[in-house]
Amino acid sequence: METSFALTGKGYVIVASDTTAARSIVKMKTDEDKIKVVSPHLLMSYSGEPGDTIQFAEYVERNLRLFHIRNNYSLRPSAAASWIRRSLAQSLRSRKPYSVNLMLGGYDVTIDSPHLYWIDYLGTMTEVPFGAHGYGSYFALSLLDRYVLSYISSKANTHFFLFTYRYHDPEATLQEGLATLKRCIDEVAKRLVVSPGKYKVKVVDKDGAREIEL
Amino acid sequence: MAAASVYSSTGFDFSNLTRNNFLSEKGLPLPKATSTGTTIVGCIFEDGIILGADTRATEGPIVADKNCEKIHYITDSIRCCGAGTAADTEFVTNLISSNMEMHTLTHGRKPRVVTAMTMLKQYLFRHQGHVGAALVLGGVDSTGPNLFTIAPHGSTDKLPYVTMGSGSLAAMAVFESHWRANMSRADALQLVKDAISAGIFNDLGSGSNVDACIITTNHTEMLRNVEMPNERVQKERTYVFPKGTTAWKKEDIKKLVLSEEVTPIGGEAMDTD
Amino acid sequence: MSIMEYNGGSVIAMVGKDCVAIASDLRLGNQALGISSNFQKIFPVTDRIYLGLPGLATDVTTLRETFRYRVNMYTIKEEREIEPETFAHLVSSTLYERRFGPYFIEPVMAGLSRSATGGFKPFIAATDLIGCLNFAKDFVVAGTASSKLYGVAEGLWEPNLEAEQLFETISQTMLNAVDRDAYSGWGVVVHVIEKDKVTTRTLKGRMD
Repeated sequence: METSFALTGKGYVIVASDTTAARSIVKMKTDEDKIKVVSPHLLMSYSGEPGDTIQFAEYVERNLRLFHIRNNYSLRPSAAASWIRRSLAQSLRSRKPYSVNLMLGGYDVTIDSPHLYWIDYLGTMTEVPFGAHGYGSYFALSLLDRYVLSYISSKANTHFFLFTYRYHDPEATLQEGLATLKRCIDEVAKRLVVSPGKYKVKVVDKDGAREIEL
Repeated sequence: MAAASVYSSTGFDFSNLTRNNFLSEKGLPLPKATSTGTTIVGCIFEDGIILGADTRATEGPIVADKNCEKIHYITDSIRCCGAGTAADTEFVTNLISSNMEMHTLTHGRKPRVVTAMTMLKQYLFRHQGHVGAALVLGGVDSTGPNLFTIAPHGSTDKLPYVTMGSGSLAAMAVFESHWRANMSRADALQLVKDAISAGIFNDLGSGSNVDACIITTNHTEMLRNVEMPNERVQKERTYVFPKGTTAWKKEDIKKLVLSEEVTPIGGEAMDTD
Repeated sequence: MSIMEYNGGSVIAMVGKDCVAIASDLRLGNQALGISSNFQKIFPVTDRIYLGLPGLATDVTTLRETFRYRVNMYTIKEEREIEPETFAHLVSSTLYERRFGPYFIEPVMAGLSRSATGGFKPFIAATDLIGCLNFAKDFVVAGTASSKLYGVAEGLWEPNLEAEQLFETISQTMLNAVDRDAYSGWGVVVHVIEKDKVTTRTLKGRMD
């Protein structure tokens, strides 16, 4: 089953997606790239209805390119995310809507910070520190989730929090981030019945987007 | 992309319809619009009309508003009680009220109740019952007192006493046993109060207080909460929490009044005299 | 499972003495799966009007954009800020326009309206998904925890609460109601609007 993960760290966003292209119960392809570099500092992983996914991803890519050509600068991640969300919301009101779920990871060069957006085919959008789509999300999200172990309260409004990280750390280095991603992939490989085999991993940071061999 | 228009055309917008059908095909049932169970009545008396209504608004089994207003303004001497889909009764009476005002301005004389009735029934018939408003329309005009009911599909009745809404049966039972022709103002008001009270206490969709409106040839009196048989008793104690009960993680205070401070730098203040 | 419960979320607004408060949870879910614990459902409209939009998350964003646009157009044309009563009618007619193909949102608004004497008067209102206005004098609720919020608020609210007391009352109402709702929770945010300041606090709530 299609699965994609993404997580932010100190100055970067990692986006990973499986590489299987399936039709019904048959694997047609195992090296499909489902992460598009839609602008110099923006990555978009897409999953959903075959055909819709590529059509929509290319539509996004070319519109962002057109914006760049016209205005001589790229849309920032937040603006691009808003535009993409609106496109999906408008598509949902058409006769044949796109059935595409996205993780949009970008690096905002104007304020030097990474951003990650979780977007689904309904046009639901939210900024997240980490996110996932597909059946893998049930494993990955709980693995990445940070939780508060306990807190001790003394005086009014003075609370001491004792945080325990379950792996996702927004201040992690790229090496640590990739190690965390590996744990997600391994967890899904171990527990999901129909787990995908291979993953493609891409990173975006201040130097732009690039693929990384895990 | 076309430039966004500042003006939107009149009438309903169906642009969400395909999406909502798509969502319901996905197995997510569409929610029903909030409908109000209600008791509304009207009755003719010797020199005019009395309209009555309860004040409960419901969302399914929940009481959404304990003291809403169901007697809507049409003109100075015409009022309309609404039952059914709450938003529909609100908007349809507002629309007809505007159109009646335009009618008055165009013709330069007080409009008749039948005019409002015809506007309402034609609007409701045009929407084939999809605008779910069940109305009791009453008023006094050049022809005397007039009282109508208008059903959601656009059919109308002209009767000396009428009831509508989920409490209409309870209210009608009171009218049938106590109504007489040419009642006095006091007797008619008491009858209307009794009819609404019958709805309030016997119909689950109706409740709280009684509103009434007495319309005569040259005066309209809106009696808001004329009976309050279900007032909440004083709470036995208060539940104010001590400051600091709620633990919070982050606070942000946005000051709305800009404070300005003048800091003189070097030498004496400038002489401005 | 209705569309109104698809993403989860709840909002409440309360009147106090010369102040109003509005609070929401922060969860965004995909049915039972939690996606985000920082999904804002309350948005500032003007300095003294806040709008809460519980319901289907895609419509939360769409309507927020629609209202921002319409309020901006109003401000430019009228050369003044919109008043809460006027804004409530803007919300109502925007939703009723789509009577036969609604947005799956039940808006809640809170604000301070300017009175004739130049002071400020607390204002709260809510509408159903097709824009039927409910101007309450005490509190209004909406969202997946609305039935629980009605009960708790009915017990805890009282008239003339000062800003700090109102904060505690609305916070405790929200926290305890969302704890009884599976689709709401994952943190709570509270805004208290007073004539000279707006205090926004993120509460420590249960994360389960």
